[in-house]
Amino acid sequence: MAAPPQFEHARYTQNRGAPIPAARQSMGRALIWFGSLGLLAMILLQILDATGTLPIGFENWRPTLYAYVAWAVALGTGQVLVRGEPGWRALFVLPAALFTIAVVVFPTLFGFYIASLDWNLSSLDGPKFFGFGNLVLLMQDPFYWNSLLNMVYYVALVLVEYAIAFGLALLLNADIKARKFFRVAFLLPFMLSPVAVSWMIGKSMLESRFGPVASFLRDIGVESPTFFSSPWVARLSIEVMDAWMTIPFMMILLLAGLQALPREVVEAAKVDGANAWQSFWKITFPLMLPVSVTAVLIRTIFKLKLADIVINVTSGGPGGATDTVSSFIFRVYRDRSNVGYGTALAVFYLIAIIIFLILMLRVANRLTRNVTDQ
Amino acid sequence: MKRELYNKMMAMQASRRSVLKGAAGASVAALGASTALGAFTAPAFAASDLRAEMLKVPGVGVGSPTDADWRKVGELALGPTKDRVSEGEFAGVELTFMGLNNQNLHNFLFRGFLKPWEAYTGAKINWIDLAQSDYNARLQQSIATGTVDFDIIEMGAPFEGDVAGKGLASEMPDWVREQIDMDDYVDYLKAPVGTWAGKTYRVSIDGDCHNFNYRTDYFTDEDLAAAWTDEGNDGPWEVPTTWQKVQAVTKFLKGKKIGGQDANGYLDPLKGWGGFGFYFLGSRATAYAKHPDDPNWLFDADTMKPRVNNPAWVRAIQDVLDTIDSQPPDQINADPGTTGFQQFLAGTGSMLSWWGDIGSNAKTSDSSVVGDVVGFDILPGSDDVYNASTGNWDTLASGPNHAPNMAYIGWGVYVMARVDGDSLKHKAAWSAAAHLGGKDISLWASAYPSGFQPYRNSHFNIPEWVGAGYDEAFITNYLASQANSYNHPNAAIEPRIPGIFQYYSVAEDELAKIYAGQFDAQTGADNIAAAWEKITDQIGRDNQIALYKASLGL
Amino acid sequence: MAITFDDKYAESKANRPPNYALMRVLIYGALLTWTFVALFPLYWTLSTSFKSAVDVTQGNLIPWIDFQPNWKGWRSLGLSPDTIFGISTPRDEFIGRFINSIITSVGSSMLALILGSLAAYGLSRFTYKFGFMRNDDILFFFISQLILPPVVLALPFLVLYKFLALLDTYPGMIFIYTLTVLPIVIWIMRDQFNTIPRELDEAALVDGLSHWGVFFRIIVPIAMPGMVAAFILSLILTWNEYYFAALLTSTNAKTLPVMVASQTGSQGISWWTMAALSTAAIAPLAIVGIMLERYIIKGLTAGAVK
Repeated sequence: MAAPPQFEHARYTQNRGAPIPAARQSMGRALIWFGSLGLLAMILLQILDATGTLPIGFENWRPTLYAYVAWAVALGTGQVLVRGEPGWRALFVLPAALFTIAVVVFPTLFGFYIASLDWNLSSLDGPKFFGFGNLVLLMQDPFYWNSLLNMVYYVALVLVEYAIAFGLALLLNADIKARKFFRVAFLLPFMLSPVAVSWMIGKSMLESRFGPVASFLRDIGVESPTFFSSPWVARLSIEVMDAWMTIPFMMILLLAGLQALPREVVEAAKVDGANAWQSFWKITFPLMLPVSVTAVLIRTIFKLKLADIVINVTSGGPGGATDTVSSFIFRVYRDRSNVGYGTALAVFYLIAIIIFLILMLRVANRLTRNVTDQ
Repeated sequence: MKRELYNKMMAMQASRRSVLKGAAGASVAALGASTALGAFTAPAFAASDLRAEMLKVPGVGVGSPTDADWRKVGELALGPTKDRVSEGEFAGVELTFMGLNNQNLHNFLFRGFLKPWEAYTGAKINWIDLAQSDYNARLQQSIATGTVDFDIIEMGAPFEGDVAGKGLASEMPDWVREQIDMDDYVDYLKAPVGTWAGKTYRVSIDGDCHNFNYRTDYFTDEDLAAAWTDEGNDGPWEVPTTWQKVQAVTKFLKGKKIGGQDANGYLDPLKGWGGFGFYFLGSRATAYAKHPDDPNWLFDADTMKPRVNNPAWVRAIQDVLDTIDSQPPDQINADPGTTGFQQFLAGTGSMLSWWGDIGSNAKTSDSSVVGDVVGFDILPGSDDVYNASTGNWDTLASGPNHAPNMAYIGWGVYVMARVDGDSLKHKAAWSAAAHLGGKDISLWASAYPSGFQPYRNSHFNIPEWVGAGYDEAFITNYLASQANSYNHPNAAIEPRIPGIFQYYSVAEDELAKIYAGQFDAQTGADNIAAAWEKITDQIGRDNQIALYKASLGL
Repeated sequence: MAITFDDKYAESKANRPPNYALMRVLIYGALLTWTFVALFPLYWTLSTSFKSAVDVTQGNLIPWIDFQPNWKGWRSLGLSPDTIFGISTPRDEFIGRFINSIITSVGSSMLALILGSLAAYGLSRFTYKFGFMRNDDILFFFISQLILPPVVLALPFLVLYKFLALLDTYPGMIFIYTLTVLPIVIWIMRDQFNTIPRELDEAALVDGLSHWGVFFRIIVPIAMPGMVAAFILSLILTWNEYYFAALLTSTNAKTLPVMVASQTGSQGISWWTMAALSTAAIAPLAIVGIMLERYIIKGLTAGAVK
């Protein structure tokens, strides 16, 4: 599956220890070969068993899982034996990589396969091969494009959330009393489950007749306040709920970044006579860029999957104004059991997002690089 | 306080396996006559006493029943099981039961009902609880991936196409048919609706139809009556019986006050509800679309051509559009749950189509504030009805056309075919299903918040309900609206075809656009019809036609 | 935003800028405002669990003044004073699911933390070449696992888990949850390790430690606060996970969020029960948050310990 990784010695060039004995190297190679053969043999046996060619009587595919684990161990040990120090270094990344591959490879491949099918679970005929047919349908689906457009709005609002989160992080980083209280209090909204947020906030607090928010607005003179009736208000209401819940996540990341800032740099700026505003933009903000990129990136990905609140509170309404791609896919895939098309929608979305993220990261890299170069 | 004490007693008692014999110990006297623990010696009781006993658990007007009450009811209803199953007969049998956890009802209710059954038979039941919104997806995906891991399932009749149509359900043995007394079902739940392709699979535990709920205080309000006449409206100020009148009343009530609060007329759920929202448009449309001479109203049975864009349905959609402005301000975001529970039961709006459980909830649920001022009727009719074969609007000689909407047909308990190979398991599973669908237990379920409605002729015995503490006028009115819907000769029966909720779900998406003003009624309806044709083609038109006909018993 | 730095320099009173007092007012004003924003919905949730139907629909706010609190929500779960010793199906269900939630979320967060920290350290310190993939690509590979909407992974995982007999098991749930938070842990921890000066590693290497020795003896202790913070974030995310829980569990490994969602349906909504459940579900997280708050502060901030 994976070719043995090659590792460059970028930073630590000192070669520690003697050259690796040939015997040890061949032992390592043997181990890797043995492990791989074992895994392949097990897969073969299970396939034979599953097809009935060679009835062994496996109850399930667990043996393949165990063989995979054994192979992973053999691969790791082999790396160390064959290549010594670089092998040890590879061991840092290998477990996570092998784990991810194990859990993800099958579902992803199967997902791509499903995306090429015309498969409605209610169809008695079962799945039919459809090739790129779903892609053609997708191009003509106004609901999908509408929800994609909505995603543009929602994602753009991440920047607002980021600004608020940054402000809150700055507040918490300041020299304040009752720090512990504020920090826990600010983190709490993140802990509430999206379902609870949808109902307790979306359907109860934002209820238009008796909800406390509506009552408050009426008290200050807004006539018959509603939160989900006109497209932009509805979109913003959804955004406010989502932001309320997830701003703490970004806030914590940014707060941590702030605390890690070397104080000397900031103080040096002061000595130079910069005022607070200048020193923020010239020193703090640039130094915070790497953390900011991580925070915004993870948050953007979460945002791109926004679904629960929309499904529970508005079902995408009014007239599709709050629909998200995920909530639309949810309807297609789950309510309509149209799994082939639903998966195709998701795969297209996935590819679009990956392109978007790569571009975003490239821009971000350029920004951070400028900073580090300074 | 007394009630809490009572519940605690119940809990302690039912935990003892030997609860049956002599549990009515010394504590009984202290609890007072109304709770009558003597019922634990159930077998000795005559049937009507038993039923009366059961209906007093916990008593109407003391709030929602609790866990202990469910167990007690289950205990009381164990008689028919004992006749057919010997004690401990199913020892060692484990069954998995998949159903809903709907606000800690449904599956939790069944747990309570089945605890005494488990204790008696020795079987053990494992529970899979699903939220209602996950139900359809989970069922479909389990079937598609071959991961059906349950022996008994609580399922709505509309899904029969997906389950029975694929041969996954076990056919009902005759002894079950006897035990649950199937002849007692209301007419429409008998064959063909109660069967699939001529065979019986379902133990009905519910009958579903939409009825018409209204606020009696509105229609006896003198100020409103005076205003109605002053504004030159036709006829007296009374509960509407046609949609034409409903429209007029709804428009009239805009801007009026009742008891100091804003008055509202008919409540339309304008937001989707995972497919369930479409039933509510259906309830508006059936009077226009269901012609007495034609069993079909949603599709043409021969071609599966949708009728949803014919003049009858478009008129229903237009009716909704005409009254959107007269409804509460945030109505565009109200789903049926909102209109039913957050609006109507909470005192907003005066007219509503809903399943019958709004009625029993009005009196017995903790959510209701309108218990004393609700009235019921069958769905409004229409002065004229669309005739799909001629394309004309007919005015019937018999007066307005009524066509109650048998929405969802009701929950049932089904046994999966995977138990068929094991005769003990088979008997155990069917015995559990029969226990839940028993004649007496279902009476209790329809009288208290359970999510289930009356569905047997024996459920319509008014004195039993009055004995339980229901107000006679109220319950007579309520049960009449149910019985008249079920037994209506022109009832609109939902097609039980595979994927029916896919059709509804797509329709909700398009309706949302219409209600938001993006399309007019006809264009939107045409979009729905086009989307439905696509679904039919995808699922397989010939199959759908055949199964549709099978579900109609043709 | 300028506030912070004024503060930092305000340590000695002599250095206080002229607008110091105004700044304090602004800071605390902002803090209190946001505290209200953050806590009011939680207060609303908590108080709803003590309301009856009328009080919910009327939007009553203050107990004993606007409405008379009762144990309704908690009683429906068998957790009120009068029902706590009785038999209660909802409570049994709740407790069972609660324990399962703890097992799966703690298990997966720990696993993600271990795997993720190792990978993040590797990616932060060494240069890998894995076929065409460099460090940035490997990092991106991990985060791309986050993108797919979980809905569409339903069928593939159902099939995979059926083959592996992992449906409705703790390991199955732990694996899939680990997958969902691993990318976050890797990204956070890589930032963390990047802020720890490499000179530390190099000095230790010169002293004769291996890379793994450096990692465990030098880096982990320094980065521990950050790891704790990443753990908490993972814990929260996995604790509230819903889709996979609804799909892949049946009777053994079922978790809490499905029960919360079950409080709505065709019979309306039990506000009080949902509020009580939500409150009960948030409580352990809040406690963890309070206990580990100091880590969240220093948290993610290896640099502070230099």
